[in-house]
Amino acid sequence: MKNSWIIALRELKERMRSKSFIAMAIVGPLLVLGITYMLFALGGKNKTHWNVLITDPNAIMQAKIMAQEDATVSYDFANDYIEIEDFANNPRFQKYDAMLEVNEKILNNKTAFLFYREKPSMQMATRVQYQFERRLEELMIAQFTSLSVSDFRKIKQPINVAMRNVYDPRDEASDMSGWVGFFFGGVILLFIFLFGMTILRSISKEKSNRIVEVLLASVKPRQLMLGKIMGIGIAAFLQFALWILFVGIGLYVMRETLFPDLLDASKMDVVQMTEAMKNQTLQEQMLSAKEYNQFVELIYERIRFGNMLGYFALFLAVGYLFYGTFFAALGAVSGSESDGQQFVIPLIALLFLALYAGHYALNNPTAELTSWFSYIPFTSPVVCMVKLAQGYPQGQGYLIYVSFLILLVSAMLVLWAAGRLYKNGILQFGHRLGFKQLFKWISRA
Amino acid sequence: MKYHTFNSNTLSQKKTTFIQILVNMLKLEAISKSFYQKLALDEVSLTLEEGEIFGLLGPNGAGKTTLIRIINRIVEQDKGVVRFKNELMNDKHLAQIGYLPEERGLYRTMTVYDHALFLGRLRGMSKNDVNTNFNYWVDKFEIGDWRKKRIEELSKGMAQKVQFICTVLHQPQLLILDEPFSGFDPINVELIQQELKEMKAQGKTIMLSSHNMKSVEEICDRVALIHQSKKILEGRVSQIRESRKDGNFAVRFSGSMIAFVNALWTGFELVDKEILGDNRFVAYVKMRGENNFQDLLQVLLGQIQIEAAWEVLPSMQEVFIQEINHSNQTQDEK
Repeated sequence: MKNSWIIALRELKERMRSKSFIAMAIVGPLLVLGITYMLFALGGKNKTHWNVLITDPNAIMQAKIMAQEDATVSYDFANDYIEIEDFANNPRFQKYDAMLEVNEKILNNKTAFLFYREKPSMQMATRVQYQFERRLEELMIAQFTSLSVSDFRKIKQPINVAMRNVYDPRDEASDMSGWVGFFFGGVILLFIFLFGMTILRSISKEKSNRIVEVLLASVKPRQLMLGKIMGIGIAAFLQFALWILFVGIGLYVMRETLFPDLLDASKMDVVQMTEAMKNQTLQEQMLSAKEYNQFVELIYERIRFGNMLGYFALFLAVGYLFYGTFFAALGAVSGSESDGQQFVIPLIALLFLALYAGHYALNNPTAELTSWFSYIPFTSPVVCMVKLAQGYPQGQGYLIYVSFLILLVSAMLVLWAAGRLYKNGILQFGHRLGFKQLFKWISRA
Repeated sequence: MKYHTFNSNTLSQKKTTFIQILVNMLKLEAISKSFYQKLALDEVSLTLEEGEIFGLLGPNGAGKTTLIRIINRIVEQDKGVVRFKNELMNDKHLAQIGYLPEERGLYRTMTVYDHALFLGRLRGMSKNDVNTNFNYWVDKFEIGDWRKKRIEELSKGMAQKVQFICTVLHQPQLLILDEPFSGFDPINVELIQQELKEMKAQGKTIMLSSHNMKSVEEICDRVALIHQSKKILEGRVSQIRESRKDGNFAVRFSGSMIAFVNALWTGFELVDKEILGDNRFVAYVKMRGENNFQDLLQVLLGQIQIEAAWEVLPSMQEVFIQEINHSNQTQDEK
């Protein structure tokens, strides 16, 4: 292990010095910030005002949601169930852009459905969700706890507002939080691809410049492979840490400069009927509102950073190990650098499959295929991120551990098999790689 | 040959028995290795004694590199045993071995010092030890200025010196060099030969495989010849050459070549000649019948002016070709 560590450190040092590492640390976060900006700045240009009908047969909301009128969203209440088809076609509901369905289970299962006619912009969707959630929060505090609002926020679970097209209510697509998960999954794939290719190139280079035999006189092939994967993996994590840092700074700067209106607390004021809220000083209220403006809401709360980042790190690490091992084995068995590039195509195809699976999960969260995708190690890093962001159904939260365990065991198995390929292929030079040969090497101890 | 002596206590303290045990640096016993259906080594046994330079010879594809990789535990043998200093070879012995493979390379973007540190650490050295030994070698090769240079900035000859330094940095007891002279310029060949001789004088054991028979003749004490996966010859260089001599002598003289040939008459055969200058030659002569060196000198005296005369032993190049051809013929006959 000591030798693997020495190999890893050398690899890390080389990566840190490379221009591509520095370039990626700058370009990557800029790209993320650019996409975020586009989502908010351009996404807000759809419809600027929304009429929302809240169906609340149990009068849970008490026909209140906002302390004062919001220029962008108007709410009406109906103390009755309204069929979706009725809402979709009945002329008297045509003035409403969306219907928010609140049933008696909302305080327990924390899920509400929003049926829209025209897909809302992200700003609008977040605004409705935010206002609804704050109101429910107040109700829950009043009904169940004696906590202050700030204390309650520390322990509460976010409310899931499932967005559905009123004309196609079975289409589960467009859950914004799911997209966040997909984005995270995409980042995992991006890192796997970029750093997997780095592993491949690094090993091919060691083969072509013939240092590999010098190394093998001191370290076992498996140690060498593991050291390489580890070193490049640490570089990937450092790169990711830089991304978080730069994106974090960027988001802060964007919030302060590009979206100043989002900080206007008065626009986002909810009923504030609890004693605790009433007793807050104006400054506290401002801070509270600022803290909870919709932008922050999206970035820092809907994403559920603490939860997501933890799993993200785990799936990124093991997903990288799983795929990285394939790249390492491929580098070891290829006869030349071009050989490796040719055989990398099936691996890239698998990464695309993972991306597709993530998108499929986004649109079909409850489909059986989505479940399969969440267990298959090639696709699980992305699909699990999407499922996690959408929220696992009550009582099925353990499934993410099942997926993770399968991924981990698969990574170990692949590491073992790749060790054989590595051992048998690393000292073969200048050959043309074929599947027959690959099979021979893998079957040889 | 080196002997380690130890004191064995017997029943009587007064009487001490000295037992001498021969320590082999490396012993290979019936090593066999196949790659798929192809036999790469067929029951090859070798012994390297402490403090000798051992040449591993053989044509391309004979199995030399496979044997060297087995010793370095890069490849595992199918059958046979490798012993290092009379112990079964294991990974911990690798720290006592320095290995310069035939296909050798360096990381182009690393500095000379970083390279030494990296490879030294892999061989189990501390940073301090690396520094001390690295300084010794850079001073010796007078390359102190290169310390911070990147490999890609060095010429091929410079890089070769760095490779050699990295191989011997951890002061190995056994040095294994696969084709150490291939790609080296004559100055570096000379330098490396000198270093090898010096290391031998320090008691280090060196195994080298080479196609450069002149170097083998010059520096190797013993050699083994591998052909078609089998060892076909092993012994001391001097003995091998001596045993294959076939009555050839060289005579350096001044005078007329015609007079020289006439003097030889029927008892001797002129095999070859070299012209050194005006009426100065070296003639290579083979004895016929019962004639010997004395007879040759007698017939020549008075005909030409002899400057020097000596017995010509076959070169290792000739021995190599002879043995390979002989082995091929035997194979064909079978």
